[in-house]
Amino acid sequence: MRALPLLSLLIGSCMTVPALAANSSPEASEWLNKLAQAEQKQSYQGSFIYERNGSFSSHDIWHKVQDGKVSERLLQLDGAAQEIVRVDGKVACVSGALVSGVKTPPDAAPRVLDPLKLMGWYDLSLAGKSRVAGRDAVIVTLTPRDQHRYAFELHLDRRTGLPLRSLMLNDKGQLLERFQMTRLDTDDLPTDEDLRASAACKPVEHRATTTQEAVSGWRSDWLPPGFELVNSSVRRDAARNSSVTSLMYDDGLARVSVFVEPVNDNSGIDTRVQLGPTVAVSRRLNTPKGKVLVTVVGEIPLGTAERIALSMRAQDAQARQ
Amino acid sequence: MSREALQESLSAVMDNEADELELRRVLSAVDDAETRATWSRYQVARAAMHKELLLPNLDIASAVSAALADEAVPAKVKKGPLRSIGRLAVAASVTIAVLAGVRMYNQDEITGAELASQQPAQQGLSVPQTQGPAVLAGYSESSEQPTGPMANGVLQNQAGWDQRLPGYLRQHAQESALKGNETALPYARAASLDNPVK
Repeated sequence: MRALPLLSLLIGSCMTVPALAANSSPEASEWLNKLAQAEQKQSYQGSFIYERNGSFSSHDIWHKVQDGKVSERLLQLDGAAQEIVRVDGKVACVSGALVSGVKTPPDAAPRVLDPLKLMGWYDLSLAGKSRVAGRDAVIVTLTPRDQHRYAFELHLDRRTGLPLRSLMLNDKGQLLERFQMTRLDTDDLPTDEDLRASAACKPVEHRATTTQEAVSGWRSDWLPPGFELVNSSVRRDAARNSSVTSLMYDDGLARVSVFVEPVNDNSGIDTRVQLGPTVAVSRRLNTPKGKVLVTVVGEIPLGTAERIALSMRAQDAQARQ
Repeated sequence: MSREALQESLSAVMDNEADELELRRVLSAVDDAETRATWSRYQVARAAMHKELLLPNLDIASAVSAALADEAVPAKVKKGPLRSIGRLAVAASVTIAVLAGVRMYNQDEITGAELASQQPAQQGLSVPQTQGPAVLAGYSESSEQPTGPMANGVLQNQAGWDQRLPGYLRQHAQESALKGNETALPYARAASLDNPVK
């Protein structure tokens, strides 16, 4: 009898790995695969709304796939005519307030939604069906396996797998943001005219890759499981005459950026802000290199952002080699 | 005790029809992960039947347990008074955890003020999440005063929070929008940073 707990522990440990995926339904992951493929293969045009705390806006989208190349144009319909055009997966131009001295990072390998990776950090499941924009949809839910990320509810078009509605919820079930198509047309292809950028859309320069040497001055001691570095850069801020190091991490779905900037003694304030789905936490740190302001911005819970901010460490020259 | 009996008791507790014996039975079994899973499944079923808003993963019980686990257990002291202080501390932290849970539980709406409740006003507060769920109690929830810089959800250069922040928020949103395949959602987030409230 005494061996029984031990035995169950043994069996339990053997089963943890399959059990990890067993929480996710294969159908749900199939639908996510369908979604990932639809973005690469399906042409469409439509309109959507975006809502978060304090903001509600409507947009048009044209998405054309020709000879395996994806072209896309998005245009905000109310307020400022913010626009972004992508040709062959690369951003060709952006407009309005979207431009603010930030140049495009060199486009790395396209980030494809990978259900197998997501399963490690979210439980994927099918949660019934719905109807959005006059089309039948299946509901796929992504429930986080820990407290370090938010839950998502995706309503995918039954015919094509395209996203018709995307909701982000926090651990209390509060809605943080809503993306919802109001019209989706997958039959009439967008014309070249539809995809042409307006005059206000400013071309984007693609800057050269920043050298690793300049970038890796900072690392984080702690990250939520599954988050990996996907981008890092150093930007010169002319107005403040300082250099801002930025590191971006993602878990395959949620993204978080960390900014590190040297400050003098009196400037820089510790701040915590929640802006709909996005949280920003600023903290001053004393390092051997002097005082810096570490700011974590991302679609993650506040406590997690706080913890990342506290874990940032300067990397000394020897450790780098 | 059989599984069925426990499940019946669970169901009774949920319907507010349990007698004292059943309540005790459920309370003594509530540490069991399976029981808690059953409990939350019942909650889901009930929410679905009553068409209520579903609150996924709300598990006050484990928040309380976590708070208890974090509590520094006083060393074994023979004297009475110290021990009761220790108990008092545990009781207090449980109360805080429960209160925090209930407080959050009751905020189901995306009213601007509540989600923007982490105002820079409490800059001194720097409690990392590692300290357990009781931290939630530290968040200011002054929903009566939506006057902070984020009250209307639009980026403005306001006094009181760091001038660098708007730039950081833009850069994050923009780099998210410019990277990867799905553009619509990150783009909409980026665009929304500068949308005035209607």
